[in-house]
Amino acid sequence: MDSHAAGSSSGGSGDGAAQPRRNSRKPKYSKFTQQELPACKPILTPKWVISVFVLVGVIFVPIGIVSLRASQQVVEIVDRYDDACVPAGVTDKLAYIRNDSIPKACTRNLTITKDMKQPIFVYYQLDNFYQNHRRYVKSRNDVQLRDKSKASETDNCDPEAKTVDGKPIVPCGLIAWSLFNDTYNLIRNNETLSVDKKDISWKSDRDHKFGSHVFPMNFQKGPLQGGKILDSKIPLSKQEDLIVWMRTAALPTFRKLYGRIYVDLKENDAITVQLENNYNTYSFSGKKKLVLSTATWIGGKNDFLGLAYLTVGGICFFLAFAFTLLYLIKPRKMGDNSYLSWNRATLGR
Amino acid sequence: MEAVTRLVKIRTSKTTLAIGDGANDVGMLQEADIGVGISGAEGMQAVMASDFAIAQFRFLERLLLVHGHWCYRRIAAMICYFFFKNITFGFTLFWFEAHAMFSAQPAYNDWFISFYSVAFTSLPVIALGVFDKDVSSRVCLEVPSLHQDGVNNVFFSWSRILSWMLNGMCCSIIIYFGSLNAILVQAVRQDGRVAGFDILGVTMYSCVVWTVNCQLALYISYFTWIQHFVIWGSILIWYTFLVIYGLFSPAISATAYHVFVEACAPSPLYWLSTLMIVVTALIPFFVYKISRTLYYPQYHDQVQRANSKNW
Repeated sequence: MDSHAAGSSSGGSGDGAAQPRRNSRKPKYSKFTQQELPACKPILTPKWVISVFVLVGVIFVPIGIVSLRASQQVVEIVDRYDDACVPAGVTDKLAYIRNDSIPKACTRNLTITKDMKQPIFVYYQLDNFYQNHRRYVKSRNDVQLRDKSKASETDNCDPEAKTVDGKPIVPCGLIAWSLFNDTYNLIRNNETLSVDKKDISWKSDRDHKFGSHVFPMNFQKGPLQGGKILDSKIPLSKQEDLIVWMRTAALPTFRKLYGRIYVDLKENDAITVQLENNYNTYSFSGKKKLVLSTATWIGGKNDFLGLAYLTVGGICFFLAFAFTLLYLIKPRKMGDNSYLSWNRATLGR
Repeated sequence: MEAVTRLVKIRTSKTTLAIGDGANDVGMLQEADIGVGISGAEGMQAVMASDFAIAQFRFLERLLLVHGHWCYRRIAAMICYFFFKNITFGFTLFWFEAHAMFSAQPAYNDWFISFYSVAFTSLPVIALGVFDKDVSSRVCLEVPSLHQDGVNNVFFSWSRILSWMLNGMCCSIIIYFGSLNAILVQAVRQDGRVAGFDILGVTMYSCVVWTVNCQLALYISYFTWIQHFVIWGSILIWYTFLVIYGLFSPAISATAYHVFVEACAPSPLYWLSTLMIVVTALIPFFVYKISRTLYYPQYHDQVQRANSKNW
């Protein structure tokens, strides 16, 4: 490796300086090549360290308090119903869920624990459902979803790509095939609460990913029905349940938005939920839960962020305090040579 | 001469340096571990057979004490940092697999992964490897014992390498589990929408990019406008890329389509969790660095501190 990299102060290659030369071959001086650019050279001193920790603590603790308060203000009601909705006396849950002749209607009673201001969000939560499995995530065709003329594009969609007689399925793929199909009807004081199912999906999905002239075709016609049957008269861009479902979740436990309620609910209100327990989570020991939740500026109920901020802020304050103590008890002069390891050894420490 | 060099090399197992300027020195230069050739009155033979070429014998002092010291620090730091940044990034993918049934589903969009080493974290490493200095050249010449750091392999010992790797592991754990717990499973915005695979990927990736770049900023001791430009610039490039890539049609950008502009940027939770995770991931290294330089300084720390005003 040649040492004539930037910064070398040796002269250009060529004759040595044995004879004095009129024209020096030394390269022109520049701050960049001589590595003498104006620079900031931070050195850690106890004052700096303590101030940094105090600053971080001072910023983090209030953020933590505010976030925690916002999260505590969210009211969330979670109700698991997949095991409770199996009729008494049924031992084979799988046979039960697959048998179309058994009515799947189920009634659940919820009590509101605290006042909930509208809009109240209705979610369904699934556990142990791996929407993030590679084969599952792959199993869709975005070209087909957007464009009516590309209906026959079913790459990657196997095994839900074509019907038995070779006709393409729209929308193809396992994600669409396994669309969640439980429905919920919420009633309070014998009065149905209307659930607004418009605008539950992301706008970019509705406008750009799912075409407004693409209609479901040959959907769920196979021997196994995986989920909801779509109305073939409604274009995909208006099938919001499908759009929400196809935005795959990150983890095996996830929630998806079902709808919104624009009515305030008071504490101790009794809500009756009439649901259709259609979706098969029994074959993989999954769980189904219905969630009612409000939202604040920080989103839904999650104390983690607030607690994390408070913890980190607290740790920083503690470290600032500890370093201050150390500095007061054992002050070190900067550049004090007696702390060098070989000098300490001779001092017998 | 080469026989003598070989003898010294084999019997003492030390690194040998030979310097010469004539054709008769070629054998010795090639035999030694480091051959320094002087281009001069006796022609270019020695230069062609050498590892380093200088023009005058007196430049040897600068070569060893200044450039030798700087280059050793830079290369050692660069390699250790490289391990760190790739471990931080790679292990977040591993932790995600544990939650994706080990099906090899990447946690991020494909192009994010492709551009990691190219666009978002490459320039700062180059700035570290080319420009970092702990002491000025004058101090290097005044304190020749700094050269002993290289002889004693202070900066590239196994304990250093392994501790950088451990740092990377810890950062990846903090980033992954922090993002997970902050973003999922509840709504992430006031409009009640939840985070899917795409939002989690963007959040984790942003935390990774911020963490590795800020880690570098904590490590280096010499900030010129170049370092500022590449470190903060890399982070800016990431956000710019995210916005531009999100504008491509969904057939190309898949899960990244509009994700930053529509979903992440308006969500205070995204920004707050990024801040919290990055600071938390950097605290262990910062505490270690403080403890070492203030309470258990090594020789080079002492020299750096004593000369910090005399650059």
